[in-house]
Amino acid sequence: MSIEQADMLLGLSAADAARVGALGSRMHVPTGAALFELGSEAHDVFIIERGRVALTLPMVFGDRQEHILVEERTAGQLVGWSGLIPPHRFTLKAAAQIDTEVLALPRGPLLAFFEANPAVGYVVLRNLASVVGQRLQVTQAMWLREMQRFVESRSS
Amino acid sequence: MVMFLMVLCMSVFGLAVCGLAFGAATRGLPTGEETPLTAAVDERLAAVPERFFVRDAAPLPAPAARVVPKVPIEVFLAQIERHIRLEQAAAESFLSAPSPESLHGRTVSPLVH
Repeated sequence: MSIEQADMLLGLSAADAARVGALGSRMHVPTGAALFELGSEAHDVFIIERGRVALTLPMVFGDRQEHILVEERTAGQLVGWSGLIPPHRFTLKAAAQIDTEVLALPRGPLLAFFEANPAVGYVVLRNLASVVGQRLQVTQAMWLREMQRFVESRSS
Repeated sequence: MVMFLMVLCMSVFGLAVCGLAFGAATRGLPTGEETPLTAAVDERLAAVPERFFVRDAAPLPAPAARVVPKVPIEVFLAQIERHIRLEQAAAESFLSAPSPESLHGRTVSPLVH
């Protein structure tokens, strides 16, 4: 996957995408290892270069707590957008389902680059809004489906 | 005459044997005077309102609380994971073609059936 194919960088020229990519550092996340934990401070956003990341939330089963899959992200997709959105705390846990490589983009240098290159910042933040909006819409639809089932179970 | 007397004797003898047999069979059974009728009525039946054409059977005991089969936690987690994947797919399908029908389309998830 080339860097400009990442969903966060769609619409940028290859040169601009490479300049954004140069701000980051590559991280290897072995199978089962956590990329970030729920509630921890979010300093970076991550572009998955290879592998697959599970985003999970905790659920309690009796006296056990289990991490329940909420979403999966694969190569080219963005995880950890809390790194760019206040209050900069992760609202999910991310862990590698298979051997994974990510590009970690730190917030400080990234925002400084956007200020210096507003056209790039505009495209990236528009892409980010698209990712956030898509997740919101999916969650709304899932929630309403559950509500419909709840109503049906109450009326039957 | 002899024949008549013989038949008469045999009839009296047979009647006596039947009487003895009846007495032996009914000895020791409670009579209506000894046991009041109300005591023999099932209390649960008394609670049921009388209706025509309804079989006079005792009411069934209240059903016990629904027993939820205990599934190993790993199996349950796998079911939840599958359910979430199916729900996400259904939600994404709704977003690609929004309509009330696509929003509430059914899935094959075992957790909702």
